Amino acid sequence: MNTEKFLELLANGKNDTDFEEFLKFVSDKLWNQYNKHLMDEILMTENKVNGIALNLPNASENKPYEQTIDFGDTKIAIERVDGLSAETHGLNVTVCDDKKSFKIAGTPDLNPIRNAGTEIESTFELTVFYKYEGLCLPPKKPLLERKLQLVINQDPRYLWKNIPVDWEKMSDPKYEKEDADCQYVTVKALPDGTPQKDIVAASKRGRSHAQEGKPRDDDFQLYHDEQTNWYVIAVADGAGSAKFSREGSRLACNVTVEVCKKALSNCEKFEENINLWHIDQKSEDAGKLVSTDIYNILGKAAHKAHTEINAEAAREKNRPKDYATTLLLAICKKFDFGWFIASFWVGDGAMCLYDKENHTSVLLGTPDEGEYGGQTRFLTMPEIFANPTDFFSRLKCRIVPDFTALFLMSDGVSDPKFETDVNLNSTEKWNALWDDLKDNGVELTDDNEAAKEQLLNWLDFWAPGNHDDRTIAILY
Amino acid sequence: MRRLPVYILIDTSGSMRGEPIESVKVGMADMVATLRQDPYALETVCISIITFDSEVKQLVPLTPLADLQLPDIVTPESGPTLTGAALQMLCKIYDSEVQMGTPQKKGDWMPLLFLMTDGKPADIQLYKQMTGEVKRHQFTNIVACAAGPKAQTEPLKLLTDNVFSLENMDSNSFKKFFQWVTLNIGAGGKSVGTTDSVELPEPPKEVNLVI
Repeated sequence: MNTEKFLELLANGKNDTDFEEFLKFVSDKLWNQYNKHLMDEILMTENKVNGIALNLPNASENKPYEQTIDFGDTKIAIERVDGLSAETHGLNVTVCDDKKSFKIAGTPDLNPIRNAGTEIESTFELTVFYKYEGLCLPPKKPLLERKLQLVINQDPRYLWKNIPVDWEKMSDPKYEKEDADCQYVTVKALPDGTPQKDIVAASKRGRSHAQEGKPRDDDFQLYHDEQTNWYVIAVADGAGSAKFSREGSRLACNVTVEVCKKALSNCEKFEENINLWHIDQKSEDAGKLVSTDIYNILGKAAHKAHTEINAEAAREKNRPKDYATTLLLAICKKFDFGWFIASFWVGDGAMCLYDKENHTSVLLGTPDEGEYGGQTRFLTMPEIFANPTDFFSRLKCRIVPDFTALFLMSDGVSDPKFETDVNLNSTEKWNALWDDLKDNGVELTDDNEAAKEQLLNWLDFWAPGNHDDRTIAILY
Repeated sequence: MRRLPVYILIDTSGSMRGEPIESVKVGMADMVATLRQDPYALETVCISIITFDSEVKQLVPLTPLADLQLPDIVTPESGPTLTGAALQMLCKIYDSEVQMGTPQKKGDWMPLLFLMTDGKPADIQLYKQMTGEVKRHQFTNIVACAAGPKAQTEPLKLLTDNVFSLENMDSNSFKKFFQWVTLNIGAGGKSVGTTDSVELPEPPKEVNLVI
């Protein structure tokens, strides 16, 4: 049958106008049906493709990322993927040659968005445009789409805020404290030119406190007696969970240093005992005498601080535990025969006598640590003083010919730098800390007053998850 | 590095089907998005999600917030709420996932536990036994949320003093609850004493404290 015959049959004797109308009607109707059929097919296909589980791990800013996302469906032909660009996100998206998969690669960088002043959501939407084999697509929807979510975690460094403490709005008692503090105690060289050890200390509010506009809870106090040449160093870490711990740590340092200062201004008997002990370190009697002296000086200092904190809490009608603080306290002096060092330690952090030349490091006690992070003991706990044996074990003393540095630090420094007790006992790690200070701008040379600012700057080091207040004191 | 483990236990029994579970999902997505903006959380928080109905599943093992992808949560048509079995699994998982401090390894922060239910434990005997077991495992805070009118608060009080109730199971209530959970997580991992628990932030008014 030829075309003319076919049309004649189809027209079935109608005039041209009527027949044209009829053809239009049939065509429109069938087109609609056809299009609806296509749309149904498209919807079904998209649903099927949307159901394909894809592996798209989260990315993190400034950490290299490379991931190939494979649809695993042989009929898919990916045309392009929108939503990410090297310019805006630091990530390139390329469709693989097989057109069944695409690759996201690069080092995420969200600064272009950040610099534009837009708030950054961590979730970004990608749209994959694709064709599907055997599926005819109409002009109004030339490509199918699959939406995907990619999480790009921001670099936490950009998320930290430095919010000043609003002291005016702070409820009473305010116990105002600076966000940072540093001090250098210069002990001039002897007339014959022999250098004498100096003390440097720095303390800085942690990022976790700065983020919330909370004050610094750490404190320190240094003292050197020009007449007797005794050194006294205290470092205290107020508990993050205790409301007035910033005052607890201040009192702990001030009271103990004050007590030691007074006791050491006139301590001939104590020094005699130290001499005796030095001559015969095996002598039980001499050992007992020195131990009693240390108990009377450091032990009493710690107890007085405990009592004064309790008194302050009572005055302000607060609980003593609102003032919870740790305490690291050391006294030392150079004798003809070498250095005498005595210490008291309650809580976490670290106190260590470090000798680079002889490759030794001695912890002056044991940090109080629990099974869980952040658990420790505080000077404010009555049980610290309840058991004499336990209390005595917190006191330590020793005589050494010389040393490189005596370190006292809060856990804000010791946690990121040492992490574990095993490391605290490793001289290698103390060597590393000594080098770390030197390599990062802290010049621990004799009479270098600038070291206090250098040390304060050094305290800004980055360590993920470690953003507590940081305090360090070094006698060197 | 010290992690802050956060365990989230969600009732997925039949009665949670529909709007309630969808609202929980939205609430959790908001929570995760908010926590991602908190640098401290981003570096320390690890989340595990356990669902319980007639079956208990750990949908997400303890996963760092940075790597976390929220799973789809499905609810069966009907069936019992095995809250006791959920606590049993929690204790087992705790033992294997939470790192205790040792001389060689830094301990995790003490974990947080959030439990949300809209009913009552069907396995009440096991539940009672397990509340004691959970208490032997230490948590900085255990927060239990009784959602909707049918939720019973009495059994939850055996588990913790921090029992809260949501009158409605609509999206707004869940949203407020999870915002508050977010605050709690943000406050976790702060230095605490050996015997102290951390004080909870004030709950929003949609979340009622059950005394």
